[in-house]
Amino acid sequence: MIELKSISKTFKTKKGSFTALRDIDLTVNDGEIFGIIGLSGAGKSTLVRCINYLEKPTSGKVIIDGRELGSLKKKELLELRRNIGMIFQSFNLLEQRTVLKNVLFPLEIAGLEKDKAISKARELLELVGLSDKESSYPSQLSGGQKQRVAIARALASEPKYLLCDEATSALDPDTTRSILELIRRINRELGVTTVVITHDMKVIDSICDRVAVMDSSVVTEVGTVAEVFSDPKSETARKLILPELKLTDSVSGGQRIRLIFSGESSFTPVVSNLILSCGTPLNILYAKTKDIDGHAYGEMVLQLPDDERAAAKVKNYLEAHVQTYSVLDGGEDSVGNASKAVG
Amino acid sequence: MSEMLQKLWDNGILLLGIWETVYMTFISAFFAYLLGLPLGVLLCVTAKDGIRPIPWLNRILDILVNIFRSIPFIILMVAVLPAAKLIVGTSLGNKAMIVTLVIAAAPYVARMVESSVKEVDKGVIEAAQSMGAGPLRIITRVLIPEARPSLTVGAVISLVTILGYSAMAGTIGGGGLGMISITYGYQRFNSEVVWICVALTIIIVQLIQEAGMRIARKTDRRSA
Repeated sequence: MIELKSISKTFKTKKGSFTALRDIDLTVNDGEIFGIIGLSGAGKSTLVRCINYLEKPTSGKVIIDGRELGSLKKKELLELRRNIGMIFQSFNLLEQRTVLKNVLFPLEIAGLEKDKAISKARELLELVGLSDKESSYPSQLSGGQKQRVAIARALASEPKYLLCDEATSALDPDTTRSILELIRRINRELGVTTVVITHDMKVIDSICDRVAVMDSSVVTEVGTVAEVFSDPKSETARKLILPELKLTDSVSGGQRIRLIFSGESSFTPVVSNLILSCGTPLNILYAKTKDIDGHAYGEMVLQLPDDERAAAKVKNYLEAHVQTYSVLDGGEDSVGNASKAVG
Repeated sequence: MSEMLQKLWDNGILLLGIWETVYMTFISAFFAYLLGLPLGVLLCVTAKDGIRPIPWLNRILDILVNIFRSIPFIILMVAVLPAAKLIVGTSLGNKAMIVTLVIAAAPYVARMVESSVKEVDKGVIEAAQSMGAGPLRIITRVLIPEARPSLTVGAVISLVTILGYSAMAGTIGGGGLGMISITYGYQRFNSEVVWICVALTIIIVQLIQEAGMRIARKTDRRSA
């Protein structure tokens, strides 16, 4: 278990001091994939570096499996880091070493016998699907392959934890998907507790169990992905979850509402029923839903008719049919308004 | 060919000069790296943004290197002759010249090494730290191997600089092509000898440059 207790980090610069983290409390449970999402500059990279003390917090405690990192001797800290693998946005492979020797690197640090180390490294390259590349150099690999090597390297010391710092941000969508699948598989099969830092809601949505939302140095909300996704409480969360909505800010006309599908039956034609029974046209501004085993997950943004009576009818219908929705005003500050949840 | 040149060739003085230049350059470079490599790494590692910041040590090394770097070689050479006598027992000849060359070149080498090592990607260093590598291991397994191509290029530049210094050593009792061009050329108004020495020096520099760059290219895995 990783426990962060009122972590703060202030950087001193020539122009004064800059607070990157303010009083952050988080717990990452064993076995889960925990996401930390925030816009760039929110402090999430600093936060993830506090977990392995690459960045030493100015105040607060980092406790891993009951051991407080600040109380450890230098050597103990180095040893503890072998239990926490880390991968990065820019892969950070040793450019002058072959793929195999990159994976061997942490085993050299751990002082493992050469024969054992080599067979371990080969095993890991097989796990990430790069057995045929062991004597290639990083410059000969694609971005996705580099990240796979980095993952194999991070897992070489058989860590209990894996930290992913924007690990898919430099990759194209297809590669991102396959790397995320790999991370999830490692989590499920090897039981590696994983912390994922990202600015991309899709990453959180596709692999995380729980998520913390960060904005300007603080954590604004924490919860299961389903909770935060269906009912984001903070403005940051809404911005991150509904980035496309900004595009529709200038749309004139009726009020907009956001329908949330968090596991209802996929077989109910919600929008069709709504239109038919209210007898009013609705405009779908945004939709992103998916079917998982017959249950619908996702969201849809609808624009209600200008006519207030018709709009009220729609809302009544939604409330009567236990459909979660929130009202997004048509004004400037559209995503910051109060939400109403039913059901 | 002038009579003088013919004589230098027949006596083997010219050939010896070439040999002395090459060997003074390489021996001096070897010892200069023995001192300069750790010094350069130390300058980089102890800097404020290094892997093991030690501000006071960094400041002292920085000032020391700057002092030696700012003294013109011809003056430094004369100034450190007593040191040469202390180390090799004489202040004359090639042995003494090697000592002066090492003292002059080591700070230069340190700066070359420092700039090469500074180029190593911070992210790679961070990755090594995240794996639990301590400073010593990061130096030997990450910084130096990853900087190798750049270090090789630096070594070529240093060799050429030391070769230039070694010619000056000819004025105070060192051997080599510098001595020949001064003693037999400049002082006896024989410009032909001077030009032959210049040409030979150019050839040696070209060979070092070409071979060094080829090694740097061949061993750089980023362009493999």
